[in-house]
Amino acid sequence: MHTTIQYMAAENTLAPAVSGDGGQALAEDSRDFAGTVGDVTVANPAMTARNVNVWYGEQQAIIDTSLDIGKSQVISMIGPSGCGKSTFIRCLNRMNDTIDSCRVTGDIRLEGQNIYDKKLDVVPLRAQVGMVFQKPNPFPKSIYDNVAYGPRIHGLAEDKQGVDEIVETSLSKAGLWDEVKDRLGEPGTGLSGGQQQRLCIARTIAVSPEVILMDEPCSALDPIATATIEELIDELRQHYAIAIVTHSMQQAARVSQRTAYFHLGRLIEVGATDDIFTNPGHRLTEDYITGRFG
Amino acid sequence: MNEMTDGHTVTSYNDELDQLNRYVMDMARLVRRQIADSIRTLEEEDVEGAKEVVVRDQEVDAIELKADDHIVHIIAKRQPVARDLREIMAAGKIISDLERIGDQARRIARLTLYFYEKDNSAPNYRLLSDIPKLAHLVDGMLELAISAFDRLDTGSALDVIRKEAELAEEMVAAQRRLSTYLMEDSRSIGHVVDITLGLRALERIGGHAKYVARHTIYLIKGKDVRHEPLERVIADVGH
Repeated sequence: MHTTIQYMAAENTLAPAVSGDGGQALAEDSRDFAGTVGDVTVANPAMTARNVNVWYGEQQAIIDTSLDIGKSQVISMIGPSGCGKSTFIRCLNRMNDTIDSCRVTGDIRLEGQNIYDKKLDVVPLRAQVGMVFQKPNPFPKSIYDNVAYGPRIHGLAEDKQGVDEIVETSLSKAGLWDEVKDRLGEPGTGLSGGQQQRLCIARTIAVSPEVILMDEPCSALDPIATATIEELIDELRQHYAIAIVTHSMQQAARVSQRTAYFHLGRLIEVGATDDIFTNPGHRLTEDYITGRFG
Repeated sequence: MNEMTDGHTVTSYNDELDQLNRYVMDMARLVRRQIADSIRTLEEEDVEGAKEVVVRDQEVDAIELKADDHIVHIIAKRQPVARDLREIMAAGKIISDLERIGDQARRIARLTLYFYEKDNSAPNYRLLSDIPKLAHLVDGMLELAISAFDRLDTGSALDVIRKEAELAEEMVAAQRRLSTYLMEDSRSIGHVVDITLGLRALERIGGHAKYVARHTIYLIKGKDVRHEPLERVIADVGH
């Protein structure tokens, strides 16, 4: 493993933030990456990322990116394929550690704790910062065991009754309990695609995370299952910070309160979703979301 | 095709936005013709011409329906955002304003019918003198507002809003003159009331032109300035 961990000395310094001006002057130069348009900070962050750079071998995938993930809100990461949005969220729970050629620098903190601290155990980190993937990936176990697995290995319950309670609560929060309560012993892989994805969300929330990362969680689902997941995301944001990568502009507009636009490894713009989709501050953001991207 | 509508990867989307622009421009041309014809019929006592203006208002309504239907289809198919969304919202509101301008032109044409059809009593020509003058002013506002929309020109849009003060002054002066005529000859009260309604129709056309300009500023700048005073609008758009 070649993941490099760089410690920030003292106070973090942000890349120069250019405030959005209500569309009066879009940043015109598509190569003008001097700073991110909009405020990368939030009042109540669950996670903070400062001056993050990521390389895959010699190829730099993320360039000097700073961004807060706010508590009790959803932030959408949008941008063309290869822009670095998935790479960025995978830095937030050190999923990139699993890629040998990946090197990460910068400072990423969860509730003030540097998650790249050498002493930090990534297993509890990945419980605190859970992840839901593009394709539902239930374990080849029963519905019950899929959800119970995390609480058991993290020792979150003292006895079977405690695990039962977590399973029921998690499946209820994921909106799946009523559909599966009478067949908890059946394989998780036997559920429909949308149900499997909700099972994976239940599995994630069973270990009481602070943050849930979702990497295109609906791209393999039909519109009905997608709507169910989006409704669930809206309910979950009351309790968790959520960062979602999506290729659907409409989904980003529907589910998130903040939107971040990535382009060629840079965070070009971040702001309130309502503003980004009506009056973005950077020409690149506008060209991308309006389908003018060449 | 302008800077706002072109450049989509899906070129048929450009075509749909271009068609929406054409509806706005066609409607604007038609309602300006309606204004000019309604004033001409009043000046020339042309009853048949006034009837044609009244009937032709249906053409304005028909374009409005087509444009609205087109907007519904664009929204359903494309789920527009950012400048495309603003373009569609602004065009939709401008189309409503143009339709109302058409209604006001029809009202003025009806004055011709009230005054000159069959045995109706014609007013003293002096009472009508302010109508062409105000019509010229508001048509100029409308022309400038539509040009601002077509060329995405904030400066012209601001000029339209600036002209509102001139329109208000002209309205006050015209009403003062009508009051003077009324004091000279109280029997003209019926005509004065009708002509006041005609002046009001022109004032409303000016008001709609002003809103066309304000919607255009929203389209260009993304700033809703419908209810802001001029100084604030200027500050907002940086002119």
